[in-house]
Amino acid sequence: MDDQACPRCKTTKYRNPSLKLMVNVCGHALCESCVDLLFLKGSGSCPECDVPLRRSNFRVQLFEDPAVEKEVDIRKRVLKDFNKKEEDFSSLNEYNDYLENVETIIFNLTNNIDVMETNKRIEQYKRDNRELILKNKIKIGREELELEELLEEEKHIDQIRKKEIVKEELELKRKKIKEKEDLIDELMFSNQDAKKIVNEFAQISQAAAKEMESSKPTAPPRASQFSTGIKFGRTSQQSAYHIPIIEDGPLYTYKEPEIVVDGPEPPVWSEIETGRYIVHMRPETVEERAGGYTANIACMRALQEAFMGLYHVSRPEQGQSS
Amino acid sequence: MDERFSRYEKIEFLGEGQFATVYKARDTKTDDIVAVKKIKIGSLAEAKDGINRTALREIKLLQELNHPNIIGLLDVFGHKSNVSLVFDYMHTDLEVIIKDQSIVLTPANVKAYMLMTLHGLEYLHNQWILHRDLKPNNLLVNSAGVLKIGDFGLARFFGSPNRIYTHQVVTRWYRCPELLFGSKMYNTGVDMWALGCILAELLLRVPFLPGESDLEQLTRIFQTLGTPTEQSWPGVKGLQDYIQFKSFPGTPLNHIFIAASDDLLDLIASLLCINPIYRLNCQQALKMPYFSNKPPPSTGAQLPFPAALTSRDAERAQRKRKIEDQIERGVQPKRLQFDTSW
Repeated sequence: MDDQACPRCKTTKYRNPSLKLMVNVCGHALCESCVDLLFLKGSGSCPECDVPLRRSNFRVQLFEDPAVEKEVDIRKRVLKDFNKKEEDFSSLNEYNDYLENVETIIFNLTNNIDVMETNKRIEQYKRDNRELILKNKIKIGREELELEELLEEEKHIDQIRKKEIVKEELELKRKKIKEKEDLIDELMFSNQDAKKIVNEFAQISQAAAKEMESSKPTAPPRASQFSTGIKFGRTSQQSAYHIPIIEDGPLYTYKEPEIVVDGPEPPVWSEIETGRYIVHMRPETVEERAGGYTANIACMRALQEAFMGLYHVSRPEQGQSS
Repeated sequence: MDERFSRYEKIEFLGEGQFATVYKARDTKTDDIVAVKKIKIGSLAEAKDGINRTALREIKLLQELNHPNIIGLLDVFGHKSNVSLVFDYMHTDLEVIIKDQSIVLTPANVKAYMLMTLHGLEYLHNQWILHRDLKPNNLLVNSAGVLKIGDFGLARFFGSPNRIYTHQVVTRWYRCPELLFGSKMYNTGVDMWALGCILAELLLRVPFLPGESDLEQLTRIFQTLGTPTEQSWPGVKGLQDYIQFKSFPGTPLNHIFIAASDDLLDLIASLLCINPIYRLNCQQALKMPYFSNKPPPSTGAQLPFPAALTSRDAERAQRKRKIEDQIERGVQPKRLQFDTSW
């Protein structure tokens, strides 16, 4: 612990107990006050390796060795894109090769070996697998959400269980007290042999205890399902099916509604103009047309109303409908 | 009369509007649940004229209509000096569904709602009736997922050459430009425009053009769809309340509805056509490729239902069952997809 020191101002933990070392992506540590000093403007370069850094990327060093810190950082970044799962590969060997490849990349980046080339490789990979990366990203996000949900549920169950236990204990206590009282009552008012009574009571309470033991509810089975009914599990491929596409309904086709005319068939729209019906109408003004009204609408309505029900005869069984 | 009054047993109070209070009731004869709308007697002056005008419209029109997507008027009865209308009981409306953030509206759901509305509206227009107050709030949905057009308080016959109509109809957000410009002769286009706004709202889950005033409403319309010119809308300058607007170029619809498919964008664009002459009518809309294309519209049971209305456990169980079903069906094809992409 004592040798933890800021490489710039040489302050050690011993001299300044509140010393906090911060690291950035390059993996070189700086103490908090040095960071404040050097990165007043928000960005600058690392005093050791001159890599341009942003102040917002500094965070508290968790591991003693800053190289580990750097590796963790790089790993996080690389794995964001290299997020394939075992089930994405057809064989275990392929998956192992892939994992090896990822490790090589991470190692190279941490130890500054062929950085340019490695970055190129990452870019190439990103380009080749863009869709899959995105898909897996969504999947992972969902899985995290599920995990949270599961934890929540477990917490809830735990609470219920605790409550039950407390309740049970209370009940047990009460029962014991009652038993004791009963025994004393019996001893006081009965004229049987005291020893016999004691024995009898002891037997009864033992039987009751045994019964309790057997009726104790076994621990509820580990939740493997969410309240929504989705099976939980890291490997569950089902997780992408929260809102599945339902395509089982029949496709829609337009059917013209049937209109009961009960008279001669009224003309159709195209006949309004060709059939010279329209010449009997007052043509619409420009303003009326701008409002959406046209004379052939009124013409059509008048014709329909004239034709409808012409053949209608009131039948005796429908008596009153006119 | 009193016999009919006692036929309906009040269960609970549902809501109160400007002209009426609505109760949930049980029909003791058939044991059905119904909605009873009791018309308020307004001021003395109004009472002198007899029955309230909106109620009269509803009675007059609805009695002759019979369509699965139009609210059914089951009975009308008077009690003392009140008039009550008995309707099909509808559990919720589209506004509630749109506003419920826990509901996911899939493309198939949207298509189903649009289809049901269009079928009802086509029937109305074929009977020469304009609804004139279409909005999500008036599209009622029952527990079976069936949508019915309700509230005929503003509905009217159309297509008379010499009758003028008031342009103060339709809730502002769903009012079309020709009404806002004060046109007194209009057509089915007023309903079609409102339908376009409702479709947009189903996709965006917020009102599409929420204008604070009539003027702002027009501004919003033109900002979104472009200002009309004398070429694109001949005669617009002659409309009573016409005002010259700054010419906006309009926003491409695919920038607003980023997730909408092309056939859906076509439908929106043709429903929200500024010039009413070129706006789609119901039949043309139903023939648009959007409706016959994939995905097929959801059937009743697949349509969402607001969580607040069902007992939560029942709904949960139902959802669970549904998801399990889908998982069983879903796993196989997905595996195949993985194989091909690899």
